[in-house]
Amino acid sequence: MAASPPRPLGPAQIRALGVLLVAAQLPLVVHLPVWVAAFGLFLAGLRFALLRRDERLARLRPARIPSWALALFAVAIALALRKSYGYFVGRDPCVAFLFVLAGIKFLEIRTTRDGTLLACLAMFVALTPFFYSQSLLGALAMLPAIVAAGVALEALAVRDPGAAGPSIRAAWTRSASLVAQGLPIAAGLFLVFPRLATPLWGLPADHAARSGLSDRMAPGSISELSLSDAVAFRVSFDGPPPRPEDRYWRGPVLSLFNGREWSALPPRPGGSLARGDRTIRYTVTLEPDDHRWLFALDLPSSLPAIEADSSVNAPKVGSLARDLQLVARAPVTQPLRYVQESVLGDRHPAASAGELRIDARMPPSNPRAVAFAQSLRSRYPNDREYIGAVLRWFRDQPFHYTLQPPLLEDHPVDAFLFDTRRGFCEHFASAFVVLLRAAGIPARVVTGYQGGEINPRGGYMIVRQSDAHAWAEAVVDGQWQRFDPTAVVAPSRIERGLYGSVPASDPVPLFARGDTGWINHVQLALDAINYRWRRNVIEFDHDRQRALWRDWGVDRFPPWQAAMAVTAAVLAWAVAVFATFAVRRRRGERTARLWSALCRRLARAGLPRPPWEGPIAYAGRAAQRWPQFAIAFDAIGSAYAMLRFGPVSEDERSALVATLARAIEVLPSPASLRATAHS
Amino acid sequence: MTVRSVSQSLPTSRRLAGVLQQVAQVVVGKHEPIRLALACLVARGHLLIEDIPGVGKSTLAQALAAVLGLPYARIQFTSDLLPADLLGVSIFDTQSSAFRFHPGPIFHSVVLADEINRAPPKTQSALLEAMEERQVSQDGETRPLPDPFFVIATQNPVEQIGTNPLPESQLDRFMLAIELGYPDASAERDLLAGGDRRRHLDTIVPQADAPTLREWQREAASVHVAPALLDYLQAILAASRGHAAGARGEQPGGTPRRGLSPRAGLMLVAAARAYALIEGRAMVVPEDLQAVFPAVAGHRLAGGARAGAALAQALLRAVPLP
Repeated sequence: MAASPPRPLGPAQIRALGVLLVAAQLPLVVHLPVWVAAFGLFLAGLRFALLRRDERLARLRPARIPSWALALFAVAIALALRKSYGYFVGRDPCVAFLFVLAGIKFLEIRTTRDGTLLACLAMFVALTPFFYSQSLLGALAMLPAIVAAGVALEALAVRDPGAAGPSIRAAWTRSASLVAQGLPIAAGLFLVFPRLATPLWGLPADHAARSGLSDRMAPGSISELSLSDAVAFRVSFDGPPPRPEDRYWRGPVLSLFNGREWSALPPRPGGSLARGDRTIRYTVTLEPDDHRWLFALDLPSSLPAIEADSSVNAPKVGSLARDLQLVARAPVTQPLRYVQESVLGDRHPAASAGELRIDARMPPSNPRAVAFAQSLRSRYPNDREYIGAVLRWFRDQPFHYTLQPPLLEDHPVDAFLFDTRRGFCEHFASAFVVLLRAAGIPARVVTGYQGGEINPRGGYMIVRQSDAHAWAEAVVDGQWQRFDPTAVVAPSRIERGLYGSVPASDPVPLFARGDTGWINHVQLALDAINYRWRRNVIEFDHDRQRALWRDWGVDRFPPWQAAMAVTAAVLAWAVAVFATFAVRRRRGERTARLWSALCRRLARAGLPRPPWEGPIAYAGRAAQRWPQFAIAFDAIGSAYAMLRFGPVSEDERSALVATLARAIEVLPSPASLRATAHS
Repeated sequence: MTVRSVSQSLPTSRRLAGVLQQVAQVVVGKHEPIRLALACLVARGHLLIEDIPGVGKSTLAQALAAVLGLPYARIQFTSDLLPADLLGVSIFDTQSSAFRFHPGPIFHSVVLADEINRAPPKTQSALLEAMEERQVSQDGETRPLPDPFFVIATQNPVEQIGTNPLPESQLDRFMLAIELGYPDASAERDLLAGGDRRRHLDTIVPQADAPTLREWQREAASVHVAPALLDYLQAILAASRGHAAGARGEQPGGTPRRGLSPRAGLMLVAAARAYALIEGRAMVVPEDLQAVFPAVAGHRLAGGARAGAALAQALLRAVPLP
């Protein structure tokens, strides 16, 4: 192809590209720092303003910003982003950079080549919100950009930008209808186009931490987490959901204590699955939290698996550590769905005494607690009685359960137990375990979630960060047994959740408040839609596609036959779309055919139509020549003129075509017309 | 459903037919020029009549003004006519110690500018500016002209001694240029038998007023123009510019001096719309365009109504309908 000189863009084309860019930018705005979002949109607005100014002043040479200035500018932006985020190679700063770069490119586009480049860039920008969230809302927010892309590409295809292009409204309607026509094809390909078992590329992991439980716990860390109503995971149960007091979702187990902070041991493989008769099966959809914990009800009796009906050999997404933590093979950066089984229970066998040493270790701190424990121990030498005495003491003393505990300085357990007595679950669990360890009983803190809200619209359970909880486990009679000191102080926390257990003045997150009227209903309804979207669309991966094919019986046919069937279906759809258009065009063609046939007949009858003569004048001449058919000729002239030049709706159009055809049928043959000609 | 007839009887077109009929009583045997003159008025254009004296130019103007119930003024253009004679003057009023503006004859809705080519260019220019702007700026003050405002200018194409012919740019201001021509034998017989037709002016019954006419003008501007008709119009415009093969060549009067401007195209659409409204159509058909084309394009193509009309007819026959 010969290189043609670059074609400059017309104002209408630049406008269409600008609308595309803004439509692509807007959904991303919520994921960006305010200054980046404002700046990127400002750049697009600047070009619009320049364009207006050029048009108003009717300048031949449009205002331009020199290329070197833009390049310098881009470098400055990159440096500013590096400074703002603290790193550059990562999802967030790179997306922000792309966002601003697209705006800069828009400032300098001049030729159609630039325009095509910008259109591609804008479409990539439109995809980037999916790096953050794959919710249904996000997908809907992308729709304007898709339609705008159609409009922009159509505008770019116009050869002569000076000419009046198609009207804006018509272009939008056309693009939207193109997208609508493409949707069935996309849906079909979504189901049948083969998927790869592993992604082609991954996203760089970002440094920014997400909220969620971690492998450390200090006073205040869980109460802080409880302020978030973000969803931790969703669960659908195969049977009825467990009772509230059984909803202990086991997470990181913390055995190490340094006097203030609890932390987890590195996961050691070799945990044994629980056995029992109260088995319950459920599917967990975990939100990405960049950690490796998988959550299961106490006590897990299976390994987390991808497929519900999977056999023993089915791929597992995680393993069981010795302290019954489920650990994923890699940090969870994408929503993860797994099928899990548990045996509801609160005790499981403990390891040998040698291994339990680490769970009895006490650092030299919190002297008052240790002294109190030893004096209490002297009265209750029996482990079980001692634990009962500690729990009684928690219940009888004026302890308060609150989201806003006072700050604890040195020896936090001492300060909490004897001074402030106001705490959240981590304070109670931590103090409880300290009191047990000081008496020589092996004990540890277990973190996780407690509770969960059943969404009546979807029949599944939502577990939020505000359900985060910490409890304790202690070895009694050679078995680990769960104790929850929080339940002793505030029993309603376990029965009814966070709201209603803490003082009304505490800042409980909105969606953790239980019944808050219509907001809660709307939120639950939205969550149910999103959950279905996620289960049926986002998580439709290679394995589920194969399972679907099996259900359809596709795998019984050889692949080439399946491919042929798919191709045939796509072709059939395309033919259906084209046929619709062909029928519409034929209607126009039919009018022209009828008219030219009439002209030929009248010419043979001795009244040719000069090429410049209009239909009404010609029909008028014919009516003078053959007055006996004046009514027919009048109808013919009127109908054809209406069809060609009139404002007619689709309904009227078909009626007019019918009228035209009938009126022409009324006329006799050319020979008899010739014989009956008047004058 | 029922199919609408192409010439449905619009209420407006019935009233316009009444206007035409009243004018035809006075100006006998000139149906098509009257129709074009009315179309020009409804399309908010101005009319140029090129003809010898005594064929009823001012009768037509007076009749149109009377039937539409509009104030009318006639200005005889002479070689010593000054712009102030046309537009009006400010005179110092000793009683109020201030200048008071005395509006000139141009402040009428229908103005007959008789023998416009006799006036000096300065005065011609003042008139044409007022026609274009539909306002008069004098002594630093802008005064709007009445709405509707309709100028019928006449010029005598035969006697050219002592005249200032309108330059082409000013001819362009007139939407239509027509000839009245001699009446045919029977009409002339009627005329001769019936005496001076001007007496009949008194018998004219006004059929409308200024607000009604403005309503008609709005209605005309919304008459439907189909893409196919615009195709046809563009083909004609291209042919006039000598782009299309066959538009040049053996045309009587030689090739056009210059093609039709986009403004001419706009005026063609406006005039064709008004003509379609008079015909009772809710849309413009090629026949409407062809009816107004010689009058709209003639003076632009050849500088004179008669030569231009022939040229325009030839052009029309060279362009087939799409």
